[in-house]
Amino acid sequence: MVRNWKDKKEAGKQNKDLFIIAFKTTVPVLLGYIPLGMAFGFLLDGAGYHWIYAFIMSLFVYAGSGQFLAVALLAAGAGLTEFAIATLLLNFRHAFYGLSLLEKFSGVGRVKPYLIFALTDETYALLTTTDVLQGSSKSRFYFYIAALDHLYWIAGSVLGATLGSVLDLNLEGMSFVLTALFVVLTIEQYFNSEARFPFIAAVSAGTLSLILFNPDNMLLASIVLGTLILIGREKSMQKVQKAQKTQKTQGTSEKEIRPINSSSQPVEGKIKEKS
Amino acid sequence: MLDTLQMFITIAVIALATFATRALPFICFGSREPPAMLSVIEKNLPPMILLLLVIYCLKDVQWLTAPYGIPELLTIGVVAGLHFWKRNAMLSIFTGTTLYMVLVQFNAFSFL
Repeated sequence: MVRNWKDKKEAGKQNKDLFIIAFKTTVPVLLGYIPLGMAFGFLLDGAGYHWIYAFIMSLFVYAGSGQFLAVALLAAGAGLTEFAIATLLLNFRHAFYGLSLLEKFSGVGRVKPYLIFALTDETYALLTTTDVLQGSSKSRFYFYIAALDHLYWIAGSVLGATLGSVLDLNLEGMSFVLTALFVVLTIEQYFNSEARFPFIAAVSAGTLSLILFNPDNMLLASIVLGTLILIGREKSMQKVQKAQKTQKTQGTSEKEIRPINSSSQPVEGKIKEKS
Repeated sequence: MLDTLQMFITIAVIALATFATRALPFICFGSREPPAMLSVIEKNLPPMILLLLVIYCLKDVQWLTAPYGIPELLTIGVVAGLHFWKRNAMLSIFTGTTLYMVLVQFNAFSFL
């Protein structure tokens, strides 16, 4: 009994420590989401909607740029189809985020649906760059980060909707904290991985999209473009490797490549038959 | 102005559309293996996306009129330099943000 109680206390302390680490990790997001959320709440309030809608939207939609878009569409008197299509297009970049989290999110258990729901740009950036402390629960840590960011966003938007017109804080420039966070996390990625090509892909895709697309579409455009560049480079590297391999095998023994040849022949035959 | 019911339906549509974009890869590759090409570029996506997010933050900068994006570029330079030097995330982020707030609130580049 006593041991059990001790274990529980120990586990409780560990969770508290984990929560504090998660909180420290999310402080930059706190400082960014409060003014951004306030701007959203203030806009929605200005469009004539009760603050409860700011709360509901931030709770159930939880998408920064998506909610700003929604206010603009509300003001423009858009139809439901427009809301759906515009939101899908704007947030489609998130589909790419999930692609690189398939492995990280496997085995997180019952918090997985929530982690997927709460996958904003900032939470994605933190989850892909922050390492989980050894011996502590990955799912709990991820959940703390995601839920804290969510909480900041809700708090900011409600503050903006209720007090936005009363408070006259000069927060101009404060949301630059999120830019700074992305800069720091990019550098951490640079330290964590040997790969340098992703940065080249990002600079070329980003600059090109900045020039070619309007600000609202540039992020999705640049992510699609960058992914295509990554795939293109991978394909050409594989070709080079293949060419090197066949050269090598041709030099050493012809027997080894025979099975490959024999398996490819029927396919060739089929293609010929078809044409 | 939408009435309460219309507003709830609209919010539900936006919420579902947003969740759909986030859940799509998990639905597609939840039970079957993702294609080989995908798993190869998977690890290269985070660094690329993070740098793209930095570039995205500069989307509204007016490069051709004063102050020509100098406050943004200067601050990013300071944050990056500080982080390469000290590698202390809090220090880099807060120094950068404070600097940027001072630069824009006091209009430090008004002479341009």
